[in-house]
Amino acid sequence: MRIINIELPLKSEEIKMFTIRDKLLISGVLYTARDQAHLRLTQLIKEGKPLPFNLADSALFYCGPAPTPPGKVCGAIGPTTSARMDKYTPLLLENGLKVMIGKGERSRVVTEAIHKYNALYLICVGGISALLVQSIVSCETFCWKELAAEAIYRMEVKNFPCYVATI
Amino acid sequence: MTYIRTISKKMIYDAIIDAIGQIYCQSTPETIAMINNALTIEEDDVAKDMLKAMLLNEELAAKEKLPICQDTGIVVVFADIGTAVKIENGSLYSIISQAVTDVWEKYYLRDSIALEPIRCFSSNPSKTKDTLQPVILHLSEIPGNKLELHISLKGGGAENCSTLKMFNPTATINEIEDFIVDTVVSSGGKPCPPVFVGIGIGGDFEQCAILAKRALMVPISPFEKKPEYKKMEERLLNQINQKGKGIQGFGGKTTALKVNILSEPCHIASLPVAINIDCHAHRCISITI
Ligand code: SF4
Repeated sequence: MRIINIELPLKSEEIKMFTIRDKLLISGVLYTARDQAHLRLTQLIKEGKPLPFNLADSALFYCGPAPTPPGKVCGAIGPTTSARMDKYTPLLLENGLKVMIGKGERSRVVTEAIHKYNALYLICVGGISALLVQSIVSCETFCWKELAAEAIYRMEVKNFPCYVATI
Repeated sequence: MTYIRTISKKMIYDAIIDAIGQIYCQSTPETIAMINNALTIEEDDVAKDMLKAMLLNEELAAKEKLPICQDTGIVVVFADIGTAVKIENGSLYSIISQAVTDVWEKYYLRDSIALEPIRCFSSNPSKTKDTLQPVILHLSEIPGNKLELHISLKGGGAENCSTLKMFNPTATINEIEDFIVDTVVSSGGKPCPPVFVGIGIGGDFEQCAILAKRALMVPISPFEKKPEYKKMEERLLNQINQKGKGIQGFGGKTTALKVNILSEPCHIASLPVAINIDCHAHRCISITI
């Protein structure tokens, strides 16, 4: 198992260097998005409206954080099942998305779109929140606060552990 | 004359706060031992790395009182009520629901319930509760004057991989086992393996599903079962693990930690089989009041 430190945003040449099952320790900015946020992002694209952040500059983390306890950087975090985002993913990839972090397999359509757009799907171990929060430098609600755990959060991470699943 | 024991609202409320306070930050000791065992037999380096992360997480979470998983799920309670028990001041549901609501705030757990399941039917689709958090409660009677509560925090990812099939009564054991193995294996990494597989066989449509859920709870085998079922559990565990889906669906020797079957009589026309999956973040506890 290779262990590689990477900084977001990733360059296309960097993505080509990875192989499946590499362990990546990621530093940079992630935006969380679950089902409801995907629905909204997709609607914005279809209506030709600007997105709240640049898809190409960061990574989408399929995650709904728990509330932040006082004195902590963030509440419990971790990946949710990626397959639920499959129906929205090809459109996001077409619009510049490069890196996704979640858990579990992707559909054939998404896998093909990942190849086509030279993107990267990483898995993160589910059910290890206490360990993952150690890699979080900051976490704040970025937009759509009314969606609570399903809002988009901006997370700065340092050496966040993932594994290459689809490339 | 039967002596009726009155159990106060406060006793139940306090016991639930205490029980959930123990499990949100720690899997059952039995689970941790099984993960340790999975690590010992594992040869794949990525699988080992992931198992080590799970064990380290258990340690950290317990020490720092942090949730082992951000999805602390929906609360499922099997309440076995002694026939000589009277519950004072309120329904058991409202007591549990109040305790769950309060413990969620106390430990900063994530609200993961959609009050309206079809989100577009609600003007506030992210609403998680009115005043109290909804819970799932299964009631049954037992002899005596005790109240037994079997409590589980059930995450959504593993729950989504569950299924139920109404077989014909002449279905072969092979057909049933193939269905169970396929269900678990085709779930891949979605339910965060290594998983627990709870199986209900028999009953009717809903009883079968409830049996499968109960099969996931601790104590994991409180029920008498025929040696045939024990053998079936062993065969299923072997078959599932031989397929090699492994840790988080990323390969390895262990996909399932345990298979537990519960059965009940059923109609001569039916043979329902339900599979309920739980993840390695196996948070359940049994308490007696
Ligand atoms: S399946 Fe279990 S471990 Fe995985 S995210 Fe859901 S609750 Fe957590």
